[in-house]
Amino acid sequence: MAVTGSKCRSCKAPAVIDLPRHNANFCAEHLLQLCRRQMEKAIHDYSMFGPDDRLLVAVSGGKDSLAVWDMLVEAGYHADGFYVGLGIGDYSAESERYVRSFADERGLHLITVDLRDEYGYDIPTASRATKRVPCSSCGMSKRHLFDKAAVDGGYDAVITGHNLDDEAAVLLGNVLHWDVDYLARQRPVLEARDGFPRKAKPLVRLTERETAAWCLLRGIDYLVEECPIAAGNRHLHHKDVLNRIEKESPSSKAAFYLNFIDNMAPVLAGHSAAANGELQGCRRCGAPTTGDVCAFCRLVDTASAHEPVPVELVLGKRGRR
Amino acid sequence: MPGDRTVNHLLDALDLVRESHLVICNGTLVPGDARLAEDDVVEIRPVISGGSH
Repeated sequence: MAVTGSKCRSCKAPAVIDLPRHNANFCAEHLLQLCRRQMEKAIHDYSMFGPDDRLLVAVSGGKDSLAVWDMLVEAGYHADGFYVGLGIGDYSAESERYVRSFADERGLHLITVDLRDEYGYDIPTASRATKRVPCSSCGMSKRHLFDKAAVDGGYDAVITGHNLDDEAAVLLGNVLHWDVDYLARQRPVLEARDGFPRKAKPLVRLTERETAAWCLLRGIDYLVEECPIAAGNRHLHHKDVLNRIEKESPSSKAAFYLNFIDNMAPVLAGHSAAANGELQGCRRCGAPTTGDVCAFCRLVDTASAHEPVPVELVLGKRGRR
Repeated sequence: MPGDRTVNHLLDALDLVRESHLVICNGTLVPGDARLAEDDVVEIRPVISGGSH
């Protein structure tokens, strides 16, 4: 049995985790309390949604999406789940199994869509057909389907499990390129507009280490394995860089992102409004788009016409781990 | 690994960043100063995830 000397900051019981950014250690009970308070603070401070809103949680089977679903339900919110089958070989089969188990064990409502069954393509095939990195067509497909499911189902907001590490890494990438349009759109909540549903990220004040600990302590079985075709992407590299900075200077990551939201997002708000542009309904599916046919419908056309591509062929290009 | 050591020493020895990992000893989450014995069963769980946004 491991012997630990550190004590919980709140109750002096033996600690289970050290959080240098809080300059504190916590027992299981008080780590869970910290996570609840950080989520509620984000929901409140950024006016994400109200207690009576119907929420649609985008779930992948990973720790963050299951953690946010669990935390919202525990806090009394009405939250249903939405899962997209991406067709990434065994990884997708496993991820769906985790999501279904989570929902079934808790009696929660889960909506599922399978790309291959309903739209005639999967992510490896889309990547090959469009000659773009898999994460590009994956992200676009998921965003479109989340929006569609929320609008069709009459939900008040789409919820994603993006955490502090995710947002800080995206911010670093946007700053490295001074991509002002992306910077202007990087907010913890996006209001509904022009056919898009409201979108909120209640975990932006929690790190990945904290959401993983939440799952562990709450007995949530999640898919630990990373998406095999995301391995080695730039986003993961940015996270690694930030965590090495965090090691030398605790709380840098939180300051980097949260101060951006407090200090820079208001400055960029005008730019965001100007960058939105005129939107109209897609001629094919009705989704908001700046063109005649939306990017998702064009992707479906290209990818569904392509012969199915096994995930192994895409793995070979991305660098198998 | 031979010899008793703390969680932090173990992560340093493996060149792993604490912020990117949880350490579970004999099924229980443990902090950085927890002392590990040779016969402990230790899982070092990476917590970093995510595709591009």
